[in-house]
Amino acid sequence: MNALERHRKLTTIWASEKGFKGWFSTVNHTDLGRMFLVTAFFFFIIGGLLAMLIRVQLATPHSAFAGPEIYNQIFTMHGTIMMFLFAIPTFEGLAIYLLPKILGTRDLAFPRLTAYGYWCYAFGGSMMLIAMVFGIAPNGGWFMYPPLSSAIYSPGINTDFWLIGITFVEISAVAAAVEITVSILKYRAPGMSLDKMPIFAWYALITALMILTGFPPLILGSVLLEVERAFGFPFFQADLGGDSLLWQHLFWLFGHPEVYIIFLPAAGVISTILPVMCRTTLLGYGWIVAAALALAFLSFGLWVHHMFTTGIPHMGLAFFSAASTLVAVPTGVQIFAWIGTMWKGRPELRLPMLHLLGFFFTFVIGGLTGVMVAVVPFDWQAHDTAFITAHLHYVLFGGFVFPIFAGIYYWLPHVTGRRRFFRLGELAFALVFIGFHVTFLAMHWVGLLGQRRRIPTYAPEDGWTAINLISSVGSFVLAIGIGMILIDVILHVLTASRGRRNPWGAGTLEWAMPTPPLAYNFASLPHITSRDPLVDQPDLAVQLARGEGYLGTPRNTWRETLTVDIASGKPDMHVIYPSNTRLPILMSAVTGVFFVSLLLKFYWTVPVAVIGVTILVWRWVWGLGRGADLAPLPIGHGITLPNAGMTARSPGWWGSIFLLTANATFFGSLLFGFAFLWTVAPGWPPPVWFDPSMTELGAGLSGAIIGPIAMRLAKSVNSKGRSSITGATMSLFGAILVAVASAAMMWRTPSPVDHAYGATLFVLGGYGLFHAVLAMLMTSFLIARIVRGFTSAVRRAEFSIIGLWVDYTSVIGVLILLAAHLPGVLQ
Amino acid sequence: MLAGAGLIFGLVMVLLLLAFRPRADTGDAGNVRVWVIGLGLAFPMVVLAALLAYGLVIGERLLPLASDDVVRVGAQGQLSTWSFTYADVPNRRTQDVLHIPAARPVDVSITTADVIHSFWVPRLAGKLDAIPGRTNILRIEADFPGTYHGVSAEFSGTGYDHFSFTVIAHDAEDWDAFLDEDIE
Amino acid sequence: MKDVFRILIAPLVWFASFSAVYGLHGLMCGHEMSGVVFGLPLERAYLVAAYVCAIAVQMVLLVALYSSRIASPSPFVRFVSHATGWVGLIATIWSLVPVVFTTYCG
Ligand code: HEM
Ligand SMILES: [Cu+2]
Ligand SMILES: [Cu+2]
Repeated sequence: MNALERHRKLTTIWASEKGFKGWFSTVNHTDLGRMFLVTAFFFFIIGGLLAMLIRVQLATPHSAFAGPEIYNQIFTMHGTIMMFLFAIPTFEGLAIYLLPKILGTRDLAFPRLTAYGYWCYAFGGSMMLIAMVFGIAPNGGWFMYPPLSSAIYSPGINTDFWLIGITFVEISAVAAAVEITVSILKYRAPGMSLDKMPIFAWYALITALMILTGFPPLILGSVLLEVERAFGFPFFQADLGGDSLLWQHLFWLFGHPEVYIIFLPAAGVISTILPVMCRTTLLGYGWIVAAALALAFLSFGLWVHHMFTTGIPHMGLAFFSAASTLVAVPTGVQIFAWIGTMWKGRPELRLPMLHLLGFFFTFVIGGLTGVMVAVVPFDWQAHDTAFITAHLHYVLFGGFVFPIFAGIYYWLPHVTGRRRFFRLGELAFALVFIGFHVTFLAMHWVGLLGQRRRIPTYAPEDGWTAINLISSVGSFVLAIGIGMILIDVILHVLTASRGRRNPWGAGTLEWAMPTPPLAYNFASLPHITSRDPLVDQPDLAVQLARGEGYLGTPRNTWRETLTVDIASGKPDMHVIYPSNTRLPILMSAVTGVFFVSLLLKFYWTVPVAVIGVTILVWRWVWGLGRGADLAPLPIGHGITLPNAGMTARSPGWWGSIFLLTANATFFGSLLFGFAFLWTVAPGWPPPVWFDPSMTELGAGLSGAIIGPIAMRLAKSVNSKGRSSITGATMSLFGAILVAVASAAMMWRTPSPVDHAYGATLFVLGGYGLFHAVLAMLMTSFLIARIVRGFTSAVRRAEFSIIGLWVDYTSVIGVLILLAAHLPGVLQ
Repeated sequence: MLAGAGLIFGLVMVLLLLAFRPRADTGDAGNVRVWVIGLGLAFPMVVLAALLAYGLVIGERLLPLASDDVVRVGAQGQLSTWSFTYADVPNRRTQDVLHIPAARPVDVSITTADVIHSFWVPRLAGKLDAIPGRTNILRIEADFPGTYHGVSAEFSGTGYDHFSFTVIAHDAEDWDAFLDEDIE
Repeated sequence: MKDVFRILIAPLVWFASFSAVYGLHGLMCGHEMSGVVFGLPLERAYLVAAYVCAIAVQMVLLVALYSSRIASPSPFVRFVSHATGWVGLIATIWSLVPVVFTTYCG
């Protein structure tokens, strides 16, 4: 087979449907990455326009441009859009587009999940836009503090749009994070051990792990607040045993890591581009990986610095102040490693490099003001003033937008296969840079003069008029600059001057393919021996196109790839991907029905949507099975690999591990909330305690023991080639017991609208019930598989996956039942 | 603090600029020692340790420690108005104006009747929030008699921009008169 | 998976001990207590003891990560796990140092 025949054959296997119809059924990471990025930039423009409206309003004193009702919506939506609908999806889009290419494989781990995530993002984002168009957008500020955001003080639907819309979008973040984590750990080119991984992959991995552990507290907070608003469960009402500070803890437990979730991918872009711009290699690769890890961890110990003025005891503040200063150290390591990289090489002032310099200048200032506000006495003055707004933009614009602009200019030739023709970019950079600093230096200043954030008007006597006007003029220069970048990019896409391959002379694998990239990325997969494969083998692209790598011969109509051992990069499984399908968009639409029903309080459509999602998920996973065993398959170079469905640690198992990590963080946050209310909230102890029942407790606990044991039994019987149906059925029985005990707990809990104690127990019981029902569905699924002959001693992957979920259900089931019954038993 | 920050920023910018001067390539090992360990690790740790110590010490000093001549007042935020009470004159309540003696420490007990607010008199102290179900105590002290402008510094919906109050610091004589209910 | 664990363990333990000491402080301030140990008020004594324990645990971890029996076979993972081990130790010492001298429960 010659290169052209191979290309034709692979294209028929991998191509998405032609035309715009293909958008709805594509599961290809290149398509979806581009869709993510374009949508995210659409939201960036919207968010930017809102920022302009803010600056118009603040340009003059006593401004009558927008009344406070509208203004509050404008700044809330600006913050919300920028954080949730622009920054995070931009990371997801970039990672989805780039990772398989840079790691030398053909797609991400779960292509249909990528599509599902995209559609959840698109639908959730549209919900927010609709709210804005109708003038009923959220208006409580992007951190939505109750009681202001509770039903009493915000009775309208505005806040519900935020809580529900953002949770919907969050699903896509968690989906993408699971996807990215598994892809980086398992879906790499053979030979790519951890130390040969491109640095961007490290950053993306760390970011994804942070999303998995950082987002659940916010999802929990949103769920609780929405339940409070809709059904009157008083989680955040001080007079009924709740505490509004619980929201602040949950929000910032998410909100601070969020800042690093935004910065780290940008740092990954910098670490990738900077050495190329300096014709050298990255200085201190291992140090940078360690610094990024340290940053990720430390950032989970800082959240209280957003709550320095809430009256937390002095020593508590001191802990968080100390941790907040410490986090500057790993940031410093990265900054200086980058400057060292520049000293080591020969920096060239190309366009991406300009934006990187913009990053250095801006981000260092933002970091320094950040260290200042970490000092408690200073923060007591600066908190909630324009100084904080200015600081956060130095960090976010400097630490994210500039690097992303650099990335856009760097990878645009890869996306389009073209050369830049018009030279608008340099001028645009100058305008953005100057405009940004004028806008936000002025805001630092006016903040120190006492201007609060989030005020719609001020008086001429305040003496802030001139500074605000300067700031607003600056912001218009900035907007013009961003507009020019947009035009530059559009012109680039439209002009027809084809570029050459690898225009920057980079060493990473994404340039070892024709541009624009093909649906299958690589005609055959490379073997990696160094961190910069293209430096060692400049003609790698040609070799791969000639089919000299792994999996060079297309088989059947399979979309094939392989996975590797995490640490060593030795190939260990053969994978067949699903092909184009509309299932993801359909499923996210039904998920949307669920969320919209909650929003509009159409409670009778909620169960319909839940059943719909269940049926679709069932179909989704059912399609993965095989009716017969598959022998190990040759992948070239004399290696044969077992198919993933014939292993105990299949991609599905890995995905479940990380989804459960996020889930466990959610549950942990819920337990934290319970303990927090119990020990800290005013209004405790509750008027009545839960009445313990030995029967219920005993039934639930025995179910929790039976489930996992029976599952293990089923697994071992199956591996001996005998029928595992008894074990699976027993496991189902165990799950039913847990479900009954949890339901009883919900039923008998002290009235959840009277005190936060009953409310929390109700939610805990609900969590238990949900998982028990999930375990019931999964074990039923397994039974159906066994009956239909989809399992065998070899086809065993599903036993391990379902076993994980059964185990998890048992652990949380036991904890939940004990939390409810034990206090009463002990008394 | 500002000067220190300026110096560090200057240093980073100079190092960036110097990167553009033509040089021969130097190996990785020595570079790691200088850039990563020296400038990346050691330098920030020293600076930050000093800053942290400074911040913690100042923080200790701002604590409302017990003292004999402390005056106690209460401040309750409520959408669009602050009402103030005085421990020394139990049934006295003022609206949007807080009276305090000058040159004496004053402990303000901050509470709220509805949503979260924040009590902030920029020239007298930092801000402290009014949280439902809790009472937070802020120590303020006006060195001289006079009028000080105070604002609510936690977003509280429409009307937030105009949500402010005044603090009047009296000299000893006036303060006694206030306690005797002569001043309204 | 083991390598991932080696890299993450020390900072994870830092996070746990950081939260634990923060929680301990909060709990103690909620319940009045009195007493003196080694010339220190009871609260301070507990906090310092917790601090010392947290540091000791980190040191044990660090020694373990360096020991040839537990360390990873991959030199790269060894390097990164040593680095994160140090991060755990330094973060523990640094972020909890207020227990030694700042006012508690104020
Ligand atoms: C395009 C240029 C931008 C301009 C001119 C701008 C301007 C502003 C202004 C003036 C405010 C303050 C409103 C107030 O509280 O008084 C604000 C708030 C905010 N901005 Fe931006 N911004 C820009 C880009 C961004 C970006 C890129 C992000 C994040 C990635 C961002 C995130 C936020 C957040 C989180 C808030 C706080 C909203 C709140 O208080 O609820 N902004 N912005
Ligand atoms: Cu933060
Ligand atoms: Cu605040």
